[in-house]
Amino acid sequence: MSCNDYQINRRRILKTFSASLLGMPISQLLAQTTPNRAQAEHVILFWNSGGMSHLDTWDPKPGRKVQGEFNPIKTSVDGMEISEIFPQLAKQMHHGALIRSIAGTNGDHGRAQYELQTGFNQSPNIMHPGLGSLVVHEREPLGDLPALVSISGQPARAGYLGQQCEAYFVGRPGQKDPYLAFPEGISHARGMQRLQILEKMNARTSGEKGSKELKASQTALKDAVNLMESPALKAFELEDEDPKTVAKYGDTEFGRGALLARRLVEKGVRFVQVNRGGFDNHGNIFDAMRNHGAAMDPAIASLLSDLKANGMLSKTLVVVLSEFGRTPRINDGGGRDHWARCFSAMMAGGGIKGGSIVGASDEDGMAPAERPVKVSDLHATMCHALGIKQDKELFTPQGRPMRVVPKGATPIHELFA
Amino acid sequence: MDTHEKFLEGGDTAEAVVPGNSAKSELLVRIHLRPIDEGVMPDEGRALKPEEVALLDAWVEGGAKWPKGVTLTERKPEAPKRVALPQKAPRSNIEAAAMLDDILRRENAGTGVVTTQTLNNAAFLRRSTIDLIGRIPTMNEVREYEGWGENRQTKLISKLSSQPRFADRWTVFMADMLRVRSNVTGGNQLLAYLHGSIEQKKPYDVLVRELISASGRANSNPAVGYILGDDAQPMELAAATAQIFLGVQIGCAMCHDHPFDDWAQKDFYDLAAFFGKTKKMESRRRGGSVYTTEGNEMTVLWPPEDKAETRDRKPVKPRFPFQLGHFEKTPHHIQRFEAVRLSQEQENSTDDNTASLDALLDSVEPNIGRPSDPVLEEAKKESQKLNVHGDLYRSSELRDQLAQLITDPRNDYFARAFVNRVWAELIGHGFVEPLDNFSDYNGLHHPTTLDFLAQEFIASGYDFRTLIRIITLSDVYRRSALPADTPFELREKSELNFAAAPSRRMLGEVLYDSIVVAGHLEDFKWPKGANNKQVSREIQIATGEFTMVEAGDAEKVTTMAGSPAMRGDGYDLESSLKIDFSSILSSKEQTELASMREKSNEQIKAEEMAAIQKDEQRKVMKYKTETITETVDDNPRFDSAMRMATPAPPAHFLRVFGQPARTGLGEFRDEASSLRQQLMMLNGRMTHEASRVGTLEPLHHLLKKDQDLAIDWAYQEILTRLPTPDEKSDARTIVDDHSQGMADLRWALINSNEFRFLP
Repeated sequence: MSCNDYQINRRRILKTFSASLLGMPISQLLAQTTPNRAQAEHVILFWNSGGMSHLDTWDPKPGRKVQGEFNPIKTSVDGMEISEIFPQLAKQMHHGALIRSIAGTNGDHGRAQYELQTGFNQSPNIMHPGLGSLVVHEREPLGDLPALVSISGQPARAGYLGQQCEAYFVGRPGQKDPYLAFPEGISHARGMQRLQILEKMNARTSGEKGSKELKASQTALKDAVNLMESPALKAFELEDEDPKTVAKYGDTEFGRGALLARRLVEKGVRFVQVNRGGFDNHGNIFDAMRNHGAAMDPAIASLLSDLKANGMLSKTLVVVLSEFGRTPRINDGGGRDHWARCFSAMMAGGGIKGGSIVGASDEDGMAPAERPVKVSDLHATMCHALGIKQDKELFTPQGRPMRVVPKGATPIHELFA
Repeated sequence: MDTHEKFLEGGDTAEAVVPGNSAKSELLVRIHLRPIDEGVMPDEGRALKPEEVALLDAWVEGGAKWPKGVTLTERKPEAPKRVALPQKAPRSNIEAAAMLDDILRRENAGTGVVTTQTLNNAAFLRRSTIDLIGRIPTMNEVREYEGWGENRQTKLISKLSSQPRFADRWTVFMADMLRVRSNVTGGNQLLAYLHGSIEQKKPYDVLVRELISASGRANSNPAVGYILGDDAQPMELAAATAQIFLGVQIGCAMCHDHPFDDWAQKDFYDLAAFFGKTKKMESRRRGGSVYTTEGNEMTVLWPPEDKAETRDRKPVKPRFPFQLGHFEKTPHHIQRFEAVRLSQEQENSTDDNTASLDALLDSVEPNIGRPSDPVLEEAKKESQKLNVHGDLYRSSELRDQLAQLITDPRNDYFARAFVNRVWAELIGHGFVEPLDNFSDYNGLHHPTTLDFLAQEFIASGYDFRTLIRIITLSDVYRRSALPADTPFELREKSELNFAAAPSRRMLGEVLYDSIVVAGHLEDFKWPKGANNKQVSREIQIATGEFTMVEAGDAEKVTTMAGSPAMRGDGYDLESSLKIDFSSILSSKEQTELASMREKSNEQIKAEEMAAIQKDEQRKVMKYKTETITETVDDNPRFDSAMRMATPAPPAHFLRVFGQPARTGLGEFRDEASSLRQQLMMLNGRMTHEASRVGTLEPLHHLLKKDQDLAIDWAYQEILTRLPTPDEKSDARTIVDDHSQGMADLRWALINSNEFRFLP
C-alpha cells in the first residue's frame, strides 16, 4: 500500500510553507538536483494503452505452443531476436535495450495504467503525478515551447504538482492547433493591439487587488503570448518537413506523432508522450498486432536512426511502455487476455547501453525467470537517466511530503554503461 | 516514532536520531533550522525554546536513552475553543444570517484579523448571480435589480434560489461531490436524478438515503448510479460513503490501521460489511442491462486477505463505527427538524407507493423467441422473494440500515460535512481542509459557526436552499477583498478566518456560460447567411463492393469509424454536447459521447468492430475517400456547459479550467491558472464569437446611436458595472464608433482577470 510513500513519522502540514516566495512554491526554488552522471535531457515515451502483448513484440517464444502467428527475426544485436512485425526496428536494436522480466501486480486497466504512468499504486486522497509531469517539474524548461507535450491522447495528470505541470495536448500531430494563433479574421496587427488593450486592463485590476491567484493568471498570460510569438512554434507544423521523411515515418497518425516528437525535442521540449491505443486484444490479436507493427515499426525505427544521425540519441531517452502484457495462452477468440505477471518494455538512448537484455521470462513468457523487475524500478531507472534524485521529497499543496518513486524502487544499473 | 524501535528505525530519507551523534541526527538538524527554512520542525504551533533544543541535543549526545517499554502517544491538537450558541431559534433566514455573523464575530474576537467592508450593490449582484445560478447577470437582470429598492439584495437571493438554473449550477456541485461520470454505466441517469432532486427540493437526507440504499437498474432507479459508480464494490463504497457524506477518511484504514487517525482496520471492515451483500449483475446478452441486487452471502471477511488463509476468514457483522450524539433532552434543532418532517409527511398523501411485482417483471425485457436467459431467470426468482411493499428496488436491508445511521440527525458528521462543502464553495475556504477530512488531528476552526449552520440545516429539514440562503444573506458572504499592499501573513490569516474575501475564480462551466451570455451566443445573433464559409472535408463513401481485408488495409478501416459529428477545425474542444435530462431516463445511450472519447477507446472499439465484421464475413465493404467542399452557415450558437456529458474530454475547455476527472476519491477542482487556459481564452472560437457584435444584438443598434451609451452597456453586460472616467476615455479610442473596435473592447473585457475572478 502506497501509504508508505511518505514519512510515517509525523504528518507535516507546512501551513506557512505551502505558501510561496515570489509566487513560486518554495520547494521549487530549493530544488537543486545534482545530476548523477545523468545523460538524458529529453524523454520520448511511447505509451501503448490496453496492454501490449509481450510475446508478439519483444519476447517471442518460437517453437512453443504459445508462440502465436509470428516468428522471431534477428536484430542488429547478436543473440537478440524480436517479433517479425518489427523488421525495420530490428535493425536499430543496437541502440535499444529490452527488459523482459517486469513483474507487475495489477491486471486491471485503470490501476495498471495509473501504476505504469506514475510509478505508484492508486490510493485514495492522493493523485500522483505522471512521469511527464514529474520530469518537467524537476528539470528546468529549455526554450519557449511547453516542457511537456502529449500527442494523440492524454498522459496521466499532474496530480499534486498542479496545473503548471499538465501536458500541452496535441490532438492531431502535424495539423495546425487553432489556439496558437489569432482566430480567422483577426490580423496579426489587430491581434497584437488587442493584447495591449488587455494588458492595460489587467494592470488596473491586479494593481488594485494583488492576490497570488491574480498574479498567477498574469504570468500564465505572459507565457501564452510568448508562446504564440515564438518561432519555435514551427516545430508543431509538419508542412515544412521533407515529404520523404514523412513517408519514411509512415503517413499514419502514429508516424506523424513520432516525427513530431523528434522535432519537438530538437526544439527543446523536455518530455513528449506519444499515445496509441488498441492493444487490448482479447480477440483477433494477430491481425491487430500486424496493424500495430505496420504503424509502429517504421516510426520508431526512423526516430531512432534520425536521433542518432543528429547526435540527439544519447541525450534522449526513448521508452516504449504498456500497462501489462498478454496471456501466453491464446484464447478461443484468437486473442490473448491480460497478463501482468510478466511483461516487457523497451528503452533506448539517454545513456542506456544499447543491445542490452535485462532479465528473462520462462520458456512460455509466463513468469520472470531471471532478474525480476518491479514496475517502480522502471521509474527509478528513468529518473536515474534524467538525473532526478529518487529520494527527493516533493510536497503536495497541503504540505504532505511525497517521494518521487516508491520506497524500494531501484534503478536497473545494468542498463547504464 | 512512538516506540524505541521505530524511533531508531528512522524515516524514509534519513535517520531521526543517531545516538551519540547530533550532527547526523535528522531530528536535531531540523529543530536547529530557522522558522523560515523548509523542513524545520516543529512545523505547527510554537517553535522550541532554546532550552528545549539544548535538552534534546544533550539527550542525543548522551546516547538517546529510552526507558524500556515507554511508548509515546501523539498529543492531539487542542480542541478549538467554542463560544456560546444562541439560545433561541431564528424566526427567519435573515435572522439566522444575522446570528451567523454574530457568532463569527465573537469567534474572531482578539485574533487581529482585518475585517473588510461589504461589497457594493453591483459587485453583490455579480457575485451572487455567479454563485447561485452559474453565470453573470444579463442586462435585464442588472436593470431589474437597480429598480428594486432598499431590499434588493434579499430579494435577489430569493429570486436566484428559485430559478431553474439554480438546479443546473448546483448539479455541477453535486456531480463533483459524487464523482459522476457520464461514461460509466448509470452515470447519466445519476446526473439526471441529481438535477431532478435539486429541482424538486428533495431534502438532502432523503437524497442520501436513496443513494446509499438504491438497488436495481439505472434506467428505472437512477439513484443506483451511485452504487454502480464504484462497481458495487464494498470496500470502495465504504470508503467513498464515509468520505463524501461524513467527511471522514476512514478509507485510509482499508489496508492497515489509519496512520494518522484513530480508526482501526477492523472499523473499516465493519463499515464495509454494510455493502457486503450487494452485487452488480450484467445480463449476458450484448447490450443487456446492468443492475444491482442483494445476494445471500456476506463477501466482506475478516481477517483481511493478506493476513490469513481463506478458510480462517469469517464473514463480518456490519457495525457502524461512528458515534451518534447522546442527549438527555432533545436539542431544539432536532425538535424543529422532527416538526418539519412530520408536516411534510402529512402533506404527502398515503398513496400506495408500492410498485407491483408485475411492474417489476414488465420492466425486465421479455425474451421473445430466444432461449431463456439464465441470468434473467435468476433475477425473476430473486424479485419474487422481495418485499412488495415500499420501493422494490430498495431491497438491501443492510444498506437501508446504514442509510438511516448516516443521515440520523444525531450524527454530527453528516450535516457538518455537507455544510463545510457548501460553505467553502460560497466563501472560498472551509472550516476544515481538505474539505472531506474531519479528524481530531486536523485543525477545525470556527467550530461554533459551523455547528450553528449545521443545526439550522438540520432544523430546516435538510433543505438545501435554506442553507444557501442563510449563508448568502449574511455579511460573511459579502466581504470584499483586501487591498493589494496587505502583508502576506495578514492576508492569509484574515481570509482563512472569513474576515476578508479570497480571490475566487469562476468554475469552468460558469466561465463558459458567462462568455456565452456576455456575447449573446445562446441564440443566433446573426441573420441567416451572414457567416457563410467554404468548408472542405473528406468523407468516406461506400462503393457497394466488398474486399478481403489485408493486414495493411485494416488500419484504413479503423479510421473510418471516427465520428462525422466533429467540426474538424480543431475548435471541438469548446463545443458542448448537450444531454437532455428528461430523455435520459427513458432512452438509449448518447452516441455522440463516443465521438468525444479518447482516441484509444475509439480505436479499440473500431478495431473490435472491424474484427467482428471480418470474423463474420471475412470481407469488408470498400470505401473511397472523397473531398467535398460545401458552403456552411457557421452561425455561432452555444448551449450551456452545464448540460454536457461530464466530465468533458481531457483537453476540453472545461477540463482545462479545472473540471476534475472524478476518478479518484478526494479529488477537488484545480483552481490554478495555466498556459493552456490563456491560449483557449485568447484565441478560442467562443471568445472570438462572443466579442463580435452581431447585427441582431441590442448593442449593434445602440452603437450606431450613441457610442458612450454603447460603452456603458458593454461594461455592464460584461463586467456588471459602469466604466470609470479613465476607462471610458480609453474605450472611446478603442471603439472609435466602429463595431470592430467594439469587438476589440469586448474581447479584452471578456479576457480580463476581472471577468473570470469574482468581485
